[in-house]
Amino acid sequence: MQVPVWDAPTRLFHWALAILAVLSFTTGKLGGSWMGWHVKSGYAILALLLFRVAWGFVGSDTARFTHFLRGARAATAYARQLLAGSPPSSTGHNPLGGWMVVLMLAVLLLQAATGLFADDEVRAQGPLAVVVSEATVRWMTRIHSFNEWVVAGLVVVHVVAIGVYQWGLRRDLIGPMLRGTTDAPDAPRVASAWVAAAILALAALAVYYLVVIFPRP
Amino acid sequence: MKFQPILAAACLVATAAIAQERAMKPESQVKLRKSAYALMNYNFATLEAMAEGKRAYDKEAAGKAADWVANLSDVPRHFFGEGTDKVEGTRAKPEIWQKRSDFDAKMDKMVAEAKKLPQAARADQASLKKAVDATGDACGACHEDYRKK
Repeated sequence: MQVPVWDAPTRLFHWALAILAVLSFTTGKLGGSWMGWHVKSGYAILALLLFRVAWGFVGSDTARFTHFLRGARAATAYARQLLAGSPPSSTGHNPLGGWMVVLMLAVLLLQAATGLFADDEVRAQGPLAVVVSEATVRWMTRIHSFNEWVVAGLVVVHVVAIGVYQWGLRRDLIGPMLRGTTDAPDAPRVASAWVAAAILALAALAVYYLVVIFPRP
Repeated sequence: MKFQPILAAACLVATAAIAQERAMKPESQVKLRKSAYALMNYNFATLEAMAEGKRAYDKEAAGKAADWVANLSDVPRHFFGEGTDKVEGTRAKPEIWQKRSDFDAKMDKMVAEAKKLPQAARADQASLKKAVDATGDACGACHEDYRKK
């Protein structure tokens, strides 16, 4: 039967993040006056990430960390089956994909957080660069410019993996991430979208405080 | 050979400049160029903010900041003597002296763009933005290749 595998907030989060990640990378590479957009895109990403972390605790079943974070044994067992070409299907993230989610959230959070303190000394200064020492700013800037490639690398791995599942293993992963539904025996519990909206609003407020109100002299 | 006097004069000026750089301790050179960059950065931030609309465009304040950047832009190039990449705290890469002509060309470009700032800053916000973009790109070109992260 068709069950709701990805709730609307999770899907919106996913596609918004995908668009903003591409925007951030591109504007960062273009530099110059594009850096204004780079900074704004980073703020939006930070708010989305804060939302997703919270949603990982109070969201729908498939969005929860406790639902998809499995031990190393489950992950390696799954990896073996994947390499054999017949991974078991799961409603939600599989044991390997679950760790990829956490890894991507972590490196993206690192990227957004270091950006707040970074300074290219020409066109863009993170809003919190003024509140820390110059040595800290330099370290944050270094991490920010190195970690962008880690993010880019993980995005490539993610997209290639989806491609392999979709067309190599004939498992439709893109459809459910668009529609929200998939064919599965049990329906996961779906959390209220109003709660999601409230969390997102709180996340946006937190970012606003962090980048506008807090650094104000 | 009517170029000879000009050439001779140019050589003389160049030698004098090099002699001056030689005479100055590497630490002092680094201190001077860093000071110039710091003041340029401070004033350019004002122009950047006005160009991007983060701060209200103010002809007088923009003009003053632009004067500072334009005048200071000439300073650092005189204090990149050989060996100054070994001074503690500098972010100058040794590549500067390996590819000196490219470094100098980028420096020339930066100075040329910075010199356009005062007039542009006093014209209107759109002109200021154009000049800020060009100067910012010229600054960044050097940082990319010749400044340690």
